[in-house]
Amino acid sequence: MTTRTPFDIPAHASTDDPRVTLDEQLGVFEPIPPYPPRTEREAEFYTLRDGEMFLNMGPQHPSTHGVLRVVLKIDGEKVVDLDPVLGYLHRGVEKLCENADYHQAICYTDPLEYISSLFCEWSPVMAFEKLLDVQVPRRAEYIRVLSGELNRIASHALFIGWFALDLGGLTPILWSFIERDEIVEMLAALTGQRMLFNYFRIGGVNGDLNHEFMSRLGTWMSKATHQINSNQALLNENEIFVRRARGLGVIDTATALQMCMTGPNLRATGVPFDIRRAHPYSIYPELDFDIPSRTEGDCLARYLLRMDEVKQSLRIIDQCLHRMPDGPVMAKLPRLIRPRPGRAYAAIEGPRGQYATYAISDGTDQPYRMRIHDPSFIHLQSVGLLTPGNLIADTMAIMASLDPIMGGVDK
Amino acid sequence: MTVVGRTWERLTIPGKILAVVIPLGAVLTAGLAILIAVIGGAVVQFLVDNLPLVRFVVAATIVLLMTVPSAFLIIYMEMKVIALMNLRYGPDRVGPFGSALSVVHGLKVLMKEDFTPTGADVPVFTLAPVVVYMSSVMSLLVLPFAPGLFGQDFNIGLLYFFAMGGLTVVGLLMAGWSSFNKYSLLGGLRSAAQVISYEIPLTLSVVGVILLAGTMSLNQIVLGQAGNLFDWYIWRQPLAFVVFFIAVTAEANRTPFDLTEADSEIVAGFATEYSGMRFGFFFFAEYVNVFIASGLTVAVFLGGWNAPFNWPWPVAVGLDPGSLGIGLLLLLTLGPPLAIVVLGLPFYLLNSRIRFWQALIIGFGLFNVIAVAAVLGLAFLSFDWVVGLLWFMGKTYVFVFTFVWMRGTLPRVRIDQLMGFAWKWLLPAALLNLFVTAFAILVLNR
Repeated sequence: MTTRTPFDIPAHASTDDPRVTLDEQLGVFEPIPPYPPRTEREAEFYTLRDGEMFLNMGPQHPSTHGVLRVVLKIDGEKVVDLDPVLGYLHRGVEKLCENADYHQAICYTDPLEYISSLFCEWSPVMAFEKLLDVQVPRRAEYIRVLSGELNRIASHALFIGWFALDLGGLTPILWSFIERDEIVEMLAALTGQRMLFNYFRIGGVNGDLNHEFMSRLGTWMSKATHQINSNQALLNENEIFVRRARGLGVIDTATALQMCMTGPNLRATGVPFDIRRAHPYSIYPELDFDIPSRTEGDCLARYLLRMDEVKQSLRIIDQCLHRMPDGPVMAKLPRLIRPRPGRAYAAIEGPRGQYATYAISDGTDQPYRMRIHDPSFIHLQSVGLLTPGNLIADTMAIMASLDPIMGGVDK
Repeated sequence: MTVVGRTWERLTIPGKILAVVIPLGAVLTAGLAILIAVIGGAVVQFLVDNLPLVRFVVAATIVLLMTVPSAFLIIYMEMKVIALMNLRYGPDRVGPFGSALSVVHGLKVLMKEDFTPTGADVPVFTLAPVVVYMSSVMSLLVLPFAPGLFGQDFNIGLLYFFAMGGLTVVGLLMAGWSSFNKYSLLGGLRSAAQVISYEIPLTLSVVGVILLAGTMSLNQIVLGQAGNLFDWYIWRQPLAFVVFFIAVTAEANRTPFDLTEADSEIVAGFATEYSGMRFGFFFFAEYVNVFIASGLTVAVFLGGWNAPFNWPWPVAVGLDPGSLGIGLLLLLTLGPPLAIVVLGLPFYLLNSRIRFWQALIIGFGLFNVIAVAAVLGLAFLSFDWVVGLLWFMGKTYVFVFTFVWMRGTLPRVRIDQLMGFAWKWLLPAALLNLFVTAFAILVLNR
């Protein structure tokens, strides 16, 4: 017979556990941590005023986009305060990369933002190329931009579906999945994989354009504009959708800059900041495209901005196809690469914003340190700023409009 | 082993079944005959004395049994129609075009574990689905399906209908409260707020119709719309129709007003902790509610079982054989063989493996089926309740389709928009409609 301390009972014990008595089980349902508050913020958050209660949303909830857990403090239907709890998908990707050689590290970064994997490869590949001081062949750069913009469209298509699904619409996600599936299939023809492509290599790409990819791309391009417009017509003119998204989760320019927002979420507040133009990389300076921006800064603006970006991506793809040069797709490099000791930073414009890698080399064949800057993590911070004062249903809409991917948040 | 035992061993399985069933049946039949001979007269006398009661019990049983197949049909319809709107196939494995899938769903729900969570208020938790289901079934009792085909013709039919609809919210609130789950609680409270708010415009919108018809009996309201298309109340009460349809959508908890079970917000609302057949009851009740909402809309505003044009129903099967003369003889002798050949010929021509005599047999079978169907069909159409039922069901399923269509296309509204819409728009519109109708009746009748 042992005496039991409160720490014997797991904080979130199963209700079927025979060691836990009924009273203890009933107590388990409050998401209050079993230790005394560690910070002032924690003490304030876990103190309930009259009429308030906690609602533990996630990690298994239909619309938290993966395994995010959000502790909501609600007063009726109104959200008073909110605390996101992260780490359910933490795999230690940065550390894994530091224990792999430069080629292997790219595989680990692939599943970070698993719906736009090419961008997760692009940034570390660019950082390593800077470390090695390699010149990438121009055809490889064109192929990178071409496949990257296709992946951006696929990612935005999925965003539209998710956003509508979180607002209660059943059909848009299936319509936009048609678009996404066609892109994913053509990228599979190019790279051999549907989701985690592992296509970019240090110094180029793994394999030239092939016939199947080109024929699929041509077929899709001929109807892409029509398809995207029909998807838009389903939502943009829907009174219920517009009334729910307009004026919701408004963030002004100053706050957005303070919260380090980038990408579509920042551009929706009126700052036309795009790394493709602000800090040009690859062949983007040669291409002709606009940086769309909107001034409202609400959920509707974020949604509409992504629609505009899809059209710009189509322009870029068109130009890439017309200007594609001949030549090799890989630079000449030794099998085992050992860059000189040094540091390199490479940022690219992903579908969610600035995706950056900072790599330090110590002269061995493995990176000494690899730091990944993921936009999803940055954007998820502002959920706590935007949500309080809104309703429970709006929490989902705001979270979906910021478009975080939990694979990237938890790394 | 005895002789009987050896004989039993030698029987096949069907033989064993028959050897048990035939003697048992004989004994039971004899017993039943004796029972009828002894107390049959008294039972018949009792039934004759209490005919309204018997009628009520039979009608209630039929209505209760009718809910399950109609719910299955609507569930299948929803799966298939939404699938087509989503550009996918939908169910296509079980039965022809997947039509048996909803039956399989029902069986699956029956076989699942019936789980009661720790901390739940067990009696309330158990009773909640029953309350929800029974309130749906009971409101079905006053719905007039066809002339003479209704459970009970109350003179307060509409009032009874709304009272029963209001009972649903009690069940949902019970489910939400007793589940010991915050999502369930939110769902229950949302349903209470929603149903109570929409009950007011719903009831007020039909007051105009009640003024016009002069009665609250649904049967009388339908009878008052007899005639053609333009005698329906939708033309005299267009605003009331719009208000009524929106409010009845909210009452049935359907998209865009399905906040009580909003899966992207509060998981499954009041049904979060339910599993097995208890969940099945909620599920059935939802689809029965869709049927009821459509049926009520049709009965109050779209003429119920009245045809949209003045057709001489029931069909007068006026056939005078004598007028044909020699034609009758020719028709009777040459008609059937000719029809058999004509019906069988396509099979002979299209399939080389079918011989001509086989094709003739097929033709004979088809001719018989068609002849019997024609005679029976005409005979049934001469009953006005069959025609009425067909019209009623046709109109009702148009509205069921509309509900499914809305679910396929519309997102969900927010709770404050929902409440604001009810109190700021629907209620004033219903009141305006009521005052205008009352004023018009006052002026025109003077």
